[in-house]
Amino acid sequence: MSAELASGDAGYEVLEGEPPEVLARNLVTAGYLLAGATAFFFVAFVFAFFYLRSIDSVSQWKPHGVDASIGWGTAIIACWVVSTVLVRLGELDQAADRRPQWRLKGLAALLLGLAGLVLQVVAWTQNGFGPTDGAFASVYVGWTAFLSLFVLLTLFWLETTLATSWRYRNELFGAAEVPAGHASGDPDRTAHDIRNPVDLNRAELAALGFYWTFLAGVAVVAWVILYLVA
Amino acid sequence: MAAARRLIGFNLLTAIVLGIGGWYAGWFGAHAITGPSLDWFSAADYNEVSVFMAYIGGVIGFLAGLGFLNYPFARLRGYPPSLREKETGGWSRYFSLCTDHKVVGIQYLWGIGLFFFIGGLNAMLIRTELLRPAHQVFPAGTYLTIVGMHGTMMMGMMSSGILGPFANYFVPILIGARRMAFPRIEALTFWLLMAAGGILTTTIFFGGFPTGWTGYPPLESQANAGMDCYILFFALVGISMTLLGLNMIATILTMRAPGLTWTRLPIFVWGVISTASLMVLAAPVLIATLGMAAFDRAINTTFFVAGGGGSNYLYQNLFWVFGHPEVYILALPGFAIVLELLPVFSRKPLWGYRLAVAGLLGVTLLSWMVWQHHLFVSGINGDLRPFYMLSTELISIPTGFTFICGMMTIWRGQIRFTVPMLFCLAWFFNFLLGGLSGVFLSDVPSDVTTHGSFFSMAHFHYTIMGGLIFTFFAAVYYWVPKMTGWQLNERLGKIHFWTMFVFFNSTFAPLFALGFMGMPRRVVTYDPSFQFLNDWVSVSAFLLGISMLVFLFNLVWSLAFKKVPAEANPWGSRSIEFQLPSPVPVHNFDRIPVFTDDPYGYGEGPAPQWVVPAGAPAGRE
Repeated sequence: MSAELASGDAGYEVLEGEPPEVLARNLVTAGYLLAGATAFFFVAFVFAFFYLRSIDSVSQWKPHGVDASIGWGTAIIACWVVSTVLVRLGELDQAADRRPQWRLKGLAALLLGLAGLVLQVVAWTQNGFGPTDGAFASVYVGWTAFLSLFVLLTLFWLETTLATSWRYRNELFGAAEVPAGHASGDPDRTAHDIRNPVDLNRAELAALGFYWTFLAGVAVVAWVILYLVA
Repeated sequence: MAAARRLIGFNLLTAIVLGIGGWYAGWFGAHAITGPSLDWFSAADYNEVSVFMAYIGGVIGFLAGLGFLNYPFARLRGYPPSLREKETGGWSRYFSLCTDHKVVGIQYLWGIGLFFFIGGLNAMLIRTELLRPAHQVFPAGTYLTIVGMHGTMMMGMMSSGILGPFANYFVPILIGARRMAFPRIEALTFWLLMAAGGILTTTIFFGGFPTGWTGYPPLESQANAGMDCYILFFALVGISMTLLGLNMIATILTMRAPGLTWTRLPIFVWGVISTASLMVLAAPVLIATLGMAAFDRAINTTFFVAGGGGSNYLYQNLFWVFGHPEVYILALPGFAIVLELLPVFSRKPLWGYRLAVAGLLGVTLLSWMVWQHHLFVSGINGDLRPFYMLSTELISIPTGFTFICGMMTIWRGQIRFTVPMLFCLAWFFNFLLGGLSGVFLSDVPSDVTTHGSFFSMAHFHYTIMGGLIFTFFAAVYYWVPKMTGWQLNERLGKIHFWTMFVFFNSTFAPLFALGFMGMPRRVVTYDPSFQFLNDWVSVSAFLLGISMLVFLFNLVWSLAFKKVPAEANPWGSRSIEFQLPSPVPVHNFDRIPVFTDDPYGYGEGPAPQWVVPAGAPAGRE
C-alpha cells in the first residue's frame, strides 16, 4: 500500500504543480476566518466601552471636556469607507479583465486608506485630551490605535496585490509565467510554486475586498460608539 | 541577491544575533524618544515604553534573521506569491524558516519540549521551597515569580502542545494534502512561540512578576518591568495561536482530498477543528486585553485603574472570556488523541463517531458560556451566579459523550497494552477525577469555600496535566516513530508511563485534601500542620520529575544511539499516515488519494479506505 501512495525516491520537483483554485480557496477562506478573529478582537473594546461607562468609576468615565471630534472622526471613516468601495469596484474590473481600471481604483483606494491614517494621527493631536484623561479617553485611544494598526496591515496587503498586478501588467490573463523560484526567497529553489500570478490576483483581490469591507464595517461601528453613543 | 542571502544565512544563529541587536535598537530608540535615562536595569521600572520597544525590536530582528521579512519585501515589490521555502536539504532546515509542515511539526515538538522542561524545572523549585512551612530557599517575591513563570510557561506553550507538533505534521496527511494552506504562516507560528518563550524567560532580569499566570490588576499595574515580559509573552502566544488556528481550519476546509467527506474525517481532525475554532476566536480577546494592559503601563491609560475610571474587574472578565475557552484549547486535543488511538489498540471501530463529534463541538460551544464562574468570589452580581453555575455544569454532558464513546470503543475490544494505549487509559482515570472535582468548583457554595485554594490547583492539574500531558505523551509514543523513522524503546516507555502515572497521582491527589484543609495557592509560607502532606507532595513531585528524565533518556537513546528503524505501520493502524513510508517523504503522496471509507473499520475486513486514481498525473488533484 505504501508504494502506491508514496515512495521516497519520487522526485520532489515533478510532483509539484497545484491547480490555482486551491490557493484561491485558501485565500478566500482565510479572509472569512481573519474577519472572525478581528471581530472578537474589537468586541473586547466594545465590552470595555459599555462596561466602564456603566460603572463610571469615581466619575472618571468621561470628565468634562473629553470629547472626540466628530469632524475628524467622520473624515477618517469616510476615507476608509470610500477606499473599500473602490476596492470592490476594482474587484469587478479585475473579474471583467479590465485590469488597468482595477489598478487605477486600487491605487486610489490605497491613497485614501493612507490619508485616513494620517487624519487619525492628526486627530489624536487635535482632540484636546490624552490617554490619561479617564476611561473614555483610554478606550478611544486604544480602540483607534489598534484599528489603525489593522488598517495599516490591510493596506500593506492591498499594496502587494496592486504591485503584483502592476509588475505583470503586460501579461495576458492565463498566459503569464514566472521563472522558477522567483518569489520564494530561497536561492536553492528551482521549481515553480505558482506558475501564473495573474490567475491568483483575482482570488487575492476577492479575499482582500471582503476583509477590507469588513474592517471598514468595524470602523463604522467604532464611529457610532465613540462619536455618537459616547 | 542569492549570494547575499547565502552569506547572511537566515538561520537561528542570525536570528539570535539580529534579535539581540533589535532589542538594543528598540531600547535606545525608545529612550531617545521618551527620556534621557539610559540607566539600564535600575531605570527599567520607570521606562515601560523602552522595555516594550526593546522586545518588539528584538522580535522583529529575530524574525528578520530567520528570513521572514524577505517574502513581504518581495511582495511589496510585486513579486508573486510563493508557497515553499527550504523544504529540501539537511538538518539545517530545522533551524530556519522551513515551510514543510513535517519539519515545522518536529520543530514544535523540540521547541515546546524545551520550554515544557523549563516550566517543569520551575515546578521542582516550587516544591523545594514548600518542603518547609517557612522561607527557606527563595524570598516571597522570587517565589511568586517562579510560580508565575511555571504557570504562564505551561499554559502558553502547551496551548499548542498537540496542535503544534502533531496537527501540523499529520493533518495535511490525514486529509490527503501535500501542504498546509499557508506554509509560511505555519512556520511563523512556531518561531513566534520561540520568541515568546525567550521573552518570558528574561523576565527574571527585570524583577519577575507577582501575578501568577492570570496577570490580574491592580497587581499587574503596580508590578515592575518583569510584568512587561509577561504581557509580551502572552500577546505573542495569542498571535501564534490565532494564526495556527486559522491555518488549520483553512487547510481542513479547503484541502481535503476527494471522497473525504465530513463523516469520514478522522476524529483527531475534528478535535483540531474544535480547538482551532476556539484559538481563532478566543486568542484575539486575549491579545486585545493585553494591549490594554500594555497601554495602561506604557502610556498611562486607565482601562484597569479604578482611580482613573477603569476597573480591574474589566480585566478579569476579558481575561476569562479567553481563559475558559483556553482550558478547552488545552483539553480538546487530548480528547481527540484518545478517541483516535483507542480503536487502533482495541481493534474495534470508534463507537458513536457522530456522538463523539457532537461532544467535541458541544464542549467548544459551551466553553464560551461559562467564564464568570472564575469570578464567583469577585463580587459579581449574585443573580448571574445560577446561570454560570448551570452552564458550567452542563459542559459535563458533551464531555461525557467523549467518555462514553471512548469506553464503548474499548468494551470487549482486543486491547493491546502498548505505551500509547496506557497513556490513553490513564487519561480516563485522571480526567474523571479532574472533571468530578470541577463540579465542586462550578457549584457556587463549594466554590466559595475552595476558590483560590490548593483544591482548585489540584483540579486543574488533573484536567490539564492529566488530560493534556498524558495524551501528549500518548501521541509522542504513537506518532514519533512515524515522524522520525526510529522506534522508541518500549520498556523505557512503560517505565516512564508507570512512574509518571503513580507519581502524578501521588503529587496531586493530596492537594485536594490540603485545599479542603484551607491551604491557599501562591503563598510561600503555610501552617506547620500542613507540612507532612506538603513534604509528601514535594517528594512525589521530584519523582514525577525523574519520570520525565526517563522519557528524555528514552528519546535521546532511541533517536540518537540505539536507532532501530521503525516499521511503516508498527501499530497495524488503518489510518492513512501509517500507509506511507517512515519518515514520510517531502511530497507526502505521489498522487493525491481518493478516500472511499471511514478510517475506523477495524474487524470489518481488510478493504482499504482510499484508492489512488489510476493514470492521474502526479501532482494534479
